[in-house]
Amino acid sequence: MNIADLLGFLSEERFIPELKAKTKDEALEELTDLLVEANLIRNKHLILEMLHRRESVGSTGIGHGIAIPHGRTTAAPELIIAFGRSSNGIAWEAIDGKPVHLIFLVIAPPHEEDNQYLPMLGKLVEFLHDENNRKKLLEIKTYQEFEELIKA
Amino acid sequence: MNKNQLDLLVALQDIDLMLKELDDVKQLGFEVRNEGAEALEKAREELTQKIGKPLLGKYERLRARYKRAIVPVKGDTCLGCFMRLPTYLITHKDKHNQIITCEGCGRILYWLE
Repeated sequence: MNIADLLGFLSEERFIPELKAKTKDEALEELTDLLVEANLIRNKHLILEMLHRRESVGSTGIGHGIAIPHGRTTAAPELIIAFGRSSNGIAWEAIDGKPVHLIFLVIAPPHEEDNQYLPMLGKLVEFLHDENNRKKLLEIKTYQEFEELIKA
Repeated sequence: MNKNQLDLLVALQDIDLMLKELDDVKQLGFEVRNEGAEALEKAREELTQKIGKPLLGKYERLRARYKRAIVPVKGDTCLGCFMRLPTYLITHKDKHNQIITCEGCGRILYWLE
């Protein structure tokens, strides 16, 4: 699996260059709402319940201003990724205690034929460990620029 | 009642899925607190208290047999056994709220659409 494969699970409709959310709960809801609007899920409460439960086990804020809320849920039809950015930053109880600016929401169904969920999470973590990639993600303005960065 | 029961069962299955992959996500670099699994087990226990005993028993039996007791329905197909569901189930007015099982595999159905 390559990081460019991420683009198969994310689209412009699930890309928010500037989140309205000011809190973690609001950010999770804003990103989940995108999935409802795209008719990808019908019950956002089940998704949010799973995401909040995941946060209760340990923060998905992995440091350096990044959060990757994630989980499998019966309510997900397929592997789905959404992206949101917050210039001001959002308190996420991240492992380094710093606010989060870049959020990738990753949800997956209980079973996938090709098991892409965990490898995709791993690739995302690896990609975001690179400081240059983080800097560029903070600078991009459009989904097209996002696509170019991921493909590069 | 039934709507809540179906949602509770889905939440229960989601906890079971999470418990199964805690070590995997930890290895990827995500924080999983030492007491994380314990907290999930506690949440699971609290959830099971809200589910009727016969239904919970059904869930556990199906889980023991198939690993996943609740399976999605896409279009008119059960994604557990890939059997086409009969029209009366597909057009069931309350299918999003009722506990409905697949006539092929017996698993509880969750309509994605």
